[in-house]
Amino acid sequence: MSLPAGFTATDRAGEPLLEVTDLVKHFPVRGGKVFRHTIGEVHAVCGVSFSIGTGETLGLVGESGCGKSTTARSILQLVEPTSGSVRFEGKELTTLSPSEMRGVRRELQVVFQDPYASLDPKIPVGETIAEPLKVHGMWRGNDGNQRVAEVLRQVGLSPSHAGRFPNEFSGGQRQRIGIARALIMEPHLLVLDEPVSALDVSIQAGVVNLLEDLQEQLGLAYLFVAHDLSVVRHISDRVAVMYLGKIVEMGSRQQIYGQPAHPYTQALLSAVPVPDPRIERERKRIVLPGDVPSPIDPPSGCRFRTRCWKAQDICVTQEPRLDPFDEHHTVACHFAAADREVLSFSPTRRGSSD
Amino acid sequence: MKPSHSKFAQDPHAPLLSIEGLEVSFRTAEGTVNAVRGISLDLQPGEVLGIVGESGSGKSVTAMATMGLLPRSASVRGSVRFRGEELLHRNERQLMPFRGKAISMIFQDPMTSLNPVYSVGWQIVEAILAHQDLSKEEALKIAIELLRKVGIPNPEDRVGNYPHEFSGGMRQRVVIAIAIANNPEVILADEPTTALDVTVQAQVLEALRAALSSTHAALLLITHDLGVIAGIANRVLVMYAGRPVEIGTVDEIFYDPSMPYTLGLLGSLPRVDTDGTERLRPIPGSPPSMIGEPVGCPFAPRCPLAADICRESEPPLRSVGSVDTGHLAACHFAEDARIRGASLFAATSSDIDATRGAGGVAPPESGLSFGHGPDEARAPGPGNYVIAEGFSPAGPGGYETAPDAQETSGDPVLPPDETEIP
Repeated sequence: MSLPAGFTATDRAGEPLLEVTDLVKHFPVRGGKVFRHTIGEVHAVCGVSFSIGTGETLGLVGESGCGKSTTARSILQLVEPTSGSVRFEGKELTTLSPSEMRGVRRELQVVFQDPYASLDPKIPVGETIAEPLKVHGMWRGNDGNQRVAEVLRQVGLSPSHAGRFPNEFSGGQRQRIGIARALIMEPHLLVLDEPVSALDVSIQAGVVNLLEDLQEQLGLAYLFVAHDLSVVRHISDRVAVMYLGKIVEMGSRQQIYGQPAHPYTQALLSAVPVPDPRIERERKRIVLPGDVPSPIDPPSGCRFRTRCWKAQDICVTQEPRLDPFDEHHTVACHFAAADREVLSFSPTRRGSSD
Repeated sequence: MKPSHSKFAQDPHAPLLSIEGLEVSFRTAEGTVNAVRGISLDLQPGEVLGIVGESGSGKSVTAMATMGLLPRSASVRGSVRFRGEELLHRNERQLMPFRGKAISMIFQDPMTSLNPVYSVGWQIVEAILAHQDLSKEEALKIAIELLRKVGIPNPEDRVGNYPHEFSGGMRQRVVIAIAIANNPEVILADEPTTALDVTVQAQVLEALRAALSSTHAALLLITHDLGVIAGIANRVLVMYAGRPVEIGTVDEIFYDPSMPYTLGLLGSLPRVDTDGTERLRPIPGSPPSMIGEPVGCPFAPRCPLAADICRESEPPLRSVGSVDTGHLAACHFAEDARIRGASLFAATSSDIDATRGAGGVAPPESGLSFGHGPDEARAPGPGNYVIAEGFSPAGPGGYETAPDAQETSGDPVLPPDETEIP
């Protein structure tokens, strides 16, 4: 299947940096009374396509189990995709050997969610940061140490911290060290898997600002995987919303938050609490009935139909394609209709500063 | 209205729940951890009081102390009264008539607060029979009604299911059903929706609102999520370093914040209803260690308004503004903070804590955590009391840059006993 029209990335530099086409990842479910065998499959990611341009941030949002992290891991080839294509800087990653993939990883780095689990407590952070250089055979004594100092400065820490151990840092600082480790290879694309979810809000803000600064200074592209829709709105150029293994809506930040057209996106946005009591008292909420169906046996047709207030017979029989709805705005719904009211509230005093 | 709890009604004029001068400390190998350093609050019938604060601010410990759930190693002082009757320092037996009937509790993680080997129906029935003289059949009928009330579809069929057969949001609704099984007068909810996705959170909050309107219970809601607080609370208490730093109506706290920490919290929050063009304003540094007794305002090292007086004496809660509305803030410069508003904090991206001056000391982790999951309270230590060089109390832009001049010098790690809390 080729990309539908209007689906191309709003790419600033022409050629997309990363192009994911029809990515599928199924995990086997094993069971059986006597002999363990495959009794089913978890349909974690089912035909996801998107692209990211140089210096661009794509926010990938969705709730637990929607496949956003599996998508990120499949792109990094940390899990082997069942099918589909991942092209990064023109290179097909799914067919690369592990050693060829290692070369690609210089340009394609990752930052994980938990800053407590992703740093080795027994080695000084300077060595953790330097490790990628050594793995790639690029470690040159003095230059290397200078490079470590440079990235530490870039992430808002002090070069003198290189000799300290992870337990001497706060969560926010540890996440900065994780970012420094990714930056030392001068990557072109950073995959950020819930990078600020484990942090308290007052500290999260500093890391978000840092990511914005680094993007501006270094021209990095981000795949920003998160469940926090407020942070994603803040940092993303474009946003893709996932539900049960599929992208249901994708568009610019302004389109997704200003005129969401898929019922799920609308429900999701209406459920995000706003730290503003007057708005919270007045706004209307869409509370979805029921739960997300099991990805082992996803519903026929539209996967959201079991909870959708717009569902008709066609939604049961025919799966909606991710079709153009507006310029660079695609929606997978038979009854897509923009709702401009979800997050637009009458002007209220926001904090005491205004 | 429900029948009154005559056996508790010692003092009809007393507030429903009254906490006075509550202090909780734990002795650890590293020293005494003062988790709660004096909190007083009154909860009126039907009121929803939100307690906000970051990990380690003492909000959960306050709830645990109220319910008598702290381990024996905890030293608890002060007073917690339900309708005038003291709850602290009672043994389990003496607390039994209160727990679940007078005050019930909802915890964060429904998988750990439900027993996996009993059906949810049995667990609700057990709660009912603990306080009400009914037959099992009658209790089961009530259990089904409770499940219906919290929005579980087909409760007649689901009542026999086990917790693992429910999703996370449904489990939390079961926990709410158990919490309201005996028509409590106070519900304590500790981060009830933190582990949940937003659409599920919306369902659970709906269930909680339904539970409140059917029981007319007062709710003490502990959360770090200011959005949830804005939607459900009447009054808000902001905690920092084990103490309330601001208390007021929900509108006062959100529209007229007067303690720099509250301002910082609100300013650091990205909002889903505004386009992300405006930079976030983080609070520099990290929360202080709770070991030992701080001198001065514990927020001073992170505060742009901090002056000498802040490092010398800890400000008490004082009335904000000329009219006494019950809006209190613990800040020597509350009026200044109130006027400066969100612009008090700079939109920086560096971590001032890491670029602090020569005294920069990162002590070893205490290993103690009162928060949930990986939290900020573990790592920072007494070193956070050190005021950074280049830290400008002048306000915005004060720490926009992190020049190399601020690099630490000398021995980067001192043993913890050499660090002092100024």
